[in-house]
Amino acid sequence: MIVLLEIREQLKSFYEKHAVIVNGIIKGLLGFVTLSLMNGNIGYMGRLKAPLMVTMLSVLCAFLPYGGISFLMAALMVAHIYTVSFELALITAVMLIMLALLYYGFQPQDSYWLLLMPVAFMLKIPYVVPLLAGLAGGLLSVIPVSCGVVVYYILMYVKQNAGLLTNDESVDITQKYVQLIRSVIANQTMFMMIAAFAAAILMVYLIHNLSLDYSWIIAIILGIIVELAAVFLGDFIFDLSVPAGELIMGILASLVIAVIYHFFVFAIDYTRTENIQFEDDDYVYYVKAVPKIVVTRPDVKVKRINNPAKARQR
Amino acid sequence: MLNEDKLKLMTGIAMFEKREGRRIFPVQRYFRGDYISRHLFRSFFSYTLCAVLVVLIWILYNSEKLLNTMNLDDMIGAAKGGMLFYLAGLFIYLIITYRIYGKRYEDARRGMRVYLAKLKRLEKRYEFQNRTRELTKGGS
Repeated sequence: MIVLLEIREQLKSFYEKHAVIVNGIIKGLLGFVTLSLMNGNIGYMGRLKAPLMVTMLSVLCAFLPYGGISFLMAALMVAHIYTVSFELALITAVMLIMLALLYYGFQPQDSYWLLLMPVAFMLKIPYVVPLLAGLAGGLLSVIPVSCGVVVYYILMYVKQNAGLLTNDESVDITQKYVQLIRSVIANQTMFMMIAAFAAAILMVYLIHNLSLDYSWIIAIILGIIVELAAVFLGDFIFDLSVPAGELIMGILASLVIAVIYHFFVFAIDYTRTENIQFEDDDYVYYVKAVPKIVVTRPDVKVKRINNPAKARQR
Repeated sequence: MLNEDKLKLMTGIAMFEKREGRRIFPVQRYFRGDYISRHLFRSFFSYTLCAVLVVLIWILYNSEKLLNTMNLDDMIGAAKGGMLFYLAGLFIYLIITYRIYGKRYEDARRGMRVYLAKLKRLEKRYEFQNRTRELTKGGS
């Protein structure tokens, strides 16, 4: 435990010094992972798959805000889908535009949930996103998370039916829309996932705000239980099969990631070095304000836990 | 000469500006009513645009039925139903907008009060400095 705390302190002081670089690297990596997953699954537009293109876009992501990254990825996704089916691209674009207009007018800073959700799905750990959203975001993050689920199922539909979508020129164009909308909207697994995640976000959010000891870990575990219960309920009532091995592995991995994330990110205040500039009558000041490193409270707690044990041994 | 506690005050204010400025200053340019109605207006347009998009998709979805059985009465009925949905949704959406931006305005006003208090402290510091300057001038 002490080793972990030390690592955490080191990470914290590293972040305090190099916040700008670290943030850039994180965003670049997020962009790279998203692009690779997208190309691997629905990479139908060859030009966007070229390694040089991927590298350049990832570097670009490092300099964009999260909203910009989401916008870029959404545009690329629509471009990929467009190569397969104009109709589906239109439907996806309309959905994304509606989300942007209705929701991101209020909360432009929330857009990374929309991005993280499909990424987590493709990495087989979708269950982690509601846990993090409940801990870090608010209740409103239900909306981008749900839309992320929809985006993922649209992507999966494209992936599974790519051949069908490109080759069915015989089918009437009006029937095509009917078929597409039906298969996207009438996907019960998708709705089960949305319900499960919404319930989990609600649970985690409510519990971690309670003034209990370890409320966050209780919240994470209860959130996992809610997700499992919802998935089983869906399995039971609507006969939707979710592969059991994948489910269990995904849940366990999500639990671990949520705990790690909480330990390293939520528990401490990542104040960072600020560069500011101001002036008075006599001078112009360029100030670099570096936060002081103080011993955080968790360290003190650990010492207390260890001391009684030592006393007993003696 | 550099004055250390004045510097501290100014640094504090500059950091506050940097962190909270984006949240506070654009809001403070408006009266509450103007601010909220400006956003209500924007919400109205974005909601209407979304409704148009939905109608577009709906028409595509039902285009076959619409083309085959062109019936004026049915179409009027559908339009009425759609209009009702649109108005109800618009009403709910505008209420949400009103509440959110009302709250944001209050938050910004509170932030502004903190900012002004900080500025006032700096101003006092200046007054103090000037007075001591005058005193020393008078004394010499």
